[in-house]
Amino acid sequence: MSTPGTTRNPGPVVWGAAAALIVLVAIPLLFIVLQAIFPAIGQGSLASPFDGVLDVLTDPKLVGMAGNTLVLGLGVVVCSAVIAVPLAFLRALFQVPLARLWDVLLLIPFMIPPYIATLGWIMTVQPNGYLKQVTGLDAGSYLFSIGGVIFVMTLGVFPVVYFAVSRTVEAIGGRYADVGRVFGASPFTALRRVTLPLSLPGLAASLLLVFAMAIEEYGTPAALGRQAGFEVLVTGIDTRVSDWPIDLRGAAVLSLVLVMMSLGAFMIQLRILANRSFETVGGKPQAVRKRPLGIFAIPVVAAFAIVTLLAVGVPLFAIFATALSKTLSGGLSPDNLGFDHFRAIVADENGAFRALVNSLSLGIATAVITGVIGAATSYMVVRTRFRGKGFLDALTVMPNAIPGVVVAVGIILAWNQPWLPVTPYNTPLILLMAYCCILLPYPVRYANAAFRQVGDNLEAAARVFGASPLVAFRRILFPLVLPSLLASMLLVFAVATRELVASLLLAPVGMSTISTFIWRQFDQGSVGLGMAMSAVTILITTTIPLLVTLASGRRGPM
Amino acid sequence: MIKHLRLAAFVIAGVAATSAAHADVTVYSAGPAGLINGLAEGFKAKTGVQVNVFQGTTGKVLARIEAEAANPQVDVLVSASWDTANDFTQRGWLLPYTSPNAATVPDFLKSETAVAQGVSALGIVWNPKSGTPKPEEWADLTKPEFKDLVTLPDPAQSGAAFELVAALSGTAGNWKLFEDLAANGAIVAGANAAALNPVLQGAKAAVFGAVDYISFAGKKKGESVEVIFPASGTVVAPRPVMILNWSKNQDEAKQFVDYILSDEGQALVAKAFLIPARTDIPADRPVIKDLKLLEIDSTQVYANRAQMLEEFSKIFSKK
Repeated sequence: MSTPGTTRNPGPVVWGAAAALIVLVAIPLLFIVLQAIFPAIGQGSLASPFDGVLDVLTDPKLVGMAGNTLVLGLGVVVCSAVIAVPLAFLRALFQVPLARLWDVLLLIPFMIPPYIATLGWIMTVQPNGYLKQVTGLDAGSYLFSIGGVIFVMTLGVFPVVYFAVSRTVEAIGGRYADVGRVFGASPFTALRRVTLPLSLPGLAASLLLVFAMAIEEYGTPAALGRQAGFEVLVTGIDTRVSDWPIDLRGAAVLSLVLVMMSLGAFMIQLRILANRSFETVGGKPQAVRKRPLGIFAIPVVAAFAIVTLLAVGVPLFAIFATALSKTLSGGLSPDNLGFDHFRAIVADENGAFRALVNSLSLGIATAVITGVIGAATSYMVVRTRFRGKGFLDALTVMPNAIPGVVVAVGIILAWNQPWLPVTPYNTPLILLMAYCCILLPYPVRYANAAFRQVGDNLEAAARVFGASPLVAFRRILFPLVLPSLLASMLLVFAVATRELVASLLLAPVGMSTISTFIWRQFDQGSVGLGMAMSAVTILITTTIPLLVTLASGRRGPM
Repeated sequence: MIKHLRLAAFVIAGVAATSAAHADVTVYSAGPAGLINGLAEGFKAKTGVQVNVFQGTTGKVLARIEAEAANPQVDVLVSASWDTANDFTQRGWLLPYTSPNAATVPDFLKSETAVAQGVSALGIVWNPKSGTPKPEEWADLTKPEFKDLVTLPDPAQSGAAFELVAALSGTAGNWKLFEDLAANGAIVAGANAAALNPVLQGAKAAVFGAVDYISFAGKKKGESVEVIFPASGTVVAPRPVMILNWSKNQDEAKQFVDYILSDEGQALVAKAFLIPARTDIPADRPVIKDLKLLEIDSTQVYANRAQMLEEFSKIFSKK
């Protein structure tokens, strides 16, 4: 833990954050736990507690599913680190050609919903898929395996690590490594002993996110893993929620197993960061000085290009090719291509346009709310001392591990109680609350890492000069963590705009979001229209962060 | 659609003067989304009553009702599986109602508490551009021409697919057909859409037991796809409409059921390529009397559901 701050008395910031966490996260979570204990809580009855919990927990399939979940989570974490960490260090410490371009392109995987990316990969590599149609190559069905699931998921989430690590390393700069060099360390030793350890908060926080994302994600393992008999906890949970007879309590129990896994990862992360200081942002200005790559420029650019091609090029190609094909069976022949599906969206057939507006508004609201709560919570956790902050910190990790569908069940149970005088249930507000709950971990983890890097002396100096804690937070700390926070808010915006699993269950009657619209098209066999909607969404959600970046004049969008 | 809107506008003009304040009806419905939205619009135009729709898979709709049970919100439920009607009747959740418009609905498509909106049938969905001979029978898909070229919807995820598996394997548990399919490289590909997709793109040649209306709609849009109903017989999936007994808007709910079974409502059902529940409504597709139906004893079959699914997945997981 970094040196505790001077603030012992929790101010209004802290109370506000705590209240928001309780409403948004603790209450739905409480009802998931209640559902796990009381099978008939949905009917408002507390009858036969713990009845059958053992049956769920001793199900022989559970061990297999839990093991597969761990394999998947760790596999995605390792693969993401292998791809992202070298790229991030290169990007942060050297003059990588076209650096800005790579940053923008590597943002795009956030904007591609995982289920769409998976479908894109299937349509690309299956026999007679786009790969075959374009190049004549046949990749067979390697995709439908554990390796395929890890491969596709890694390509979707590794940018989380890339942006977190490259920003952290950039903030450390070459300065600390230079000190090491002055004292006789080789460049490699300086990297290993100085820069790498100092970048740990960003690396550990982002890998924790990746692990939680990987064990929670439903679409990819369902589409690619099932055929290979690779069942994970999330697919097991979904079966219990949507298969007759509906078993909400079984789903709740399995979700708590997932939460335990995520908390385990969280504890490991805390241990890694414990008793060390990562303060690198002191009062001294630092020049951002990057080294030239020399002859290594070509292989480095090639590495960025290959990764970008796989993570962005392939899914985007499949999405646009399908969106532009009049029929799926017509293939990529010129007379089968046209803008019919896009025209249908512009003409607002089936309420496509309204779904876009709904999701974009929800995405913006979620980003703002989670950003504010995230900043306040991280400040509280890193900078203040009061009892219960550890609990509140842990609360901010859990939603990330709970499958969206179970969060949705918890929210219905909590907010559809008959004795509530007013309730957000069945209004758009309930989706906003669900998105905030699910996505709060992002700003919290990003801001948390940023706060750990800001030296105490800055805040102390402000206090010496008469600033109140609130002013010190607003004028000193907040601007310093703003870049990280803004980055996470853009991420939240992108993910909230396309959230599917909770929306499917929770959308108020009569309301569509982008993802429920797309899902409906797929479900009814209109893949082209669904892909056209995805394409429009990806364009919009990529443009907005770019505009924010240009307007704020900061380096890089993340 | 345009024609329908014009009709709607005409009716709105007619009732606008008389429309008074009505309670809204909340309807939870399995797909297709276009159908339930069309029914909601048509009903509002006719009666002035607003219909609030939540649409999802049968599973998601039931999960929502289950989670809402402390404070139920839904007035009318449309499921894609008749089993929902049996289950809800047993729980005592349904309001008995027989619509006057249900006179020409055959007996096996109605009960005291439920009536079919429409019916889908299962068939072989085949891509004529796949270079395979046109299959006529279920067993044709076990032939070498279809090696590695067949998908099946997962019976655990589709009620109709489960009933087909039950009907074809029989009460005696004759799994030979499915063992042959598995040996021929057929794969279980998730829900209906996931099974159809690779057939449309040409990665596979045929779906064994696909819900038909999606493919009829696809064919209309120009997809290279044909629906074949084997002469040996198939199963149908009636889609029950039910009124929940906790509904506070029972009069409006009954009116909505009447509307679904009206000439206008049934025409919308036919336009979605489902078989209209009423036998006197024309449809541009094979209807019940054109199909040979396989008998299943649903009480017994559903009692054995877990074991059958287990057996089924065992056959397709060993390769």
